[in-house]
Amino acid sequence: MIRIDCPICGLRTETEFTYGADATVTRPAMDETATQPWVDYVFNRDNPRGWHLEYWHHVQGCRQWLVLERNTLTHEVGSCRLAREVDHEAS
Amino acid sequence: MVDPVIPLHANLVPGRYGADGDTAVQIGTRRISSLWQIAGWSDFEHAAQPLLVACGLAGPGQYDETQQGPDVTAWRIAPDKILLEGPPDLTDFASDSLVVLDLSHARTVITLNGAEARTLLSQVVSVDVSAATLPVGSFIQTGLHGVGVLLQARSQNGIEIFVPTTWAQTILDILCQNAMPLGYEIMSPQTIHAAT
Ligand SMILES: [Zn+2]
Repeated sequence: MIRIDCPICGLRTETEFTYGADATVTRPAMDETATQPWVDYVFNRDNPRGWHLEYWHHVQGCRQWLVLERNTLTHEVGSCRLAREVDHEAS
Repeated sequence: MVDPVIPLHANLVPGRYGADGDTAVQIGTRRISSLWQIAGWSDFEHAAQPLLVACGLAGPGQYDETQQGPDVTAWRIAPDKILLEGPPDLTDFASDSLVVLDLSHARTVITLNGAEARTLLSQVVSVDVSAATLPVGSFIQTGLHGVGVLLQARSQNGIEIFVPTTWAQTILDILCQNAMPLGYEIMSPQTIHAAT
């Protein structure tokens, strides 16, 4: 069981949340014409060992999308921010 | 508008159930006068201000504190979302920056009262619902049986659970099953009405 410190609701158990997606993926520019960047964007994901950024949804709480730092090796949880406040260019 | 029905009335058979001894918890329901959700975007607080003023509220409120106006109770359930009980039709406040949604028929209140009300609740949610972390006047959104609910502490021994109406019967059943070892009483709707 991991616990997530929602910026709105405070510290809650994992059961209140659902995992959403890899939060490091960025969409190619809309005028990108090469196929591979779009294939990578839609289908290909890294399988990192260690710290990772993930989208989680606080579905049984404030219903906000969150960007959570989680260690895939140890299940340690790091920072948790509202996805709307995360600068996607920097992540 | 059609009066909101209380879907649990037919299933709440007044009486004393479960373990003998002092009645540890009273389970009941109450009528929701009206329930509206307002939502918006990044300019939500600005967009919501006229509506909040009309409802006699000081502002959007805190994420864990029930806000009480003269006729309206409000809960800040998200950065850009507030739930309001008691206001009249809010449709006229809708704009490109503010969405208003009538949820009067979509939620049901289950009431828990008595010395073991918080004990009972603690058996079915993962959050701490002791008076220390859920003091009178505060609220919390969490999961109960995997269903998103809003809990508010009306008094030291009185908790209200706002559940989606479609889940009301299931949640009631779970509460009653868990209350069996404690001993519980189902309140008659008339008694509930008089008490609220
Ligand atoms: Zn939350």
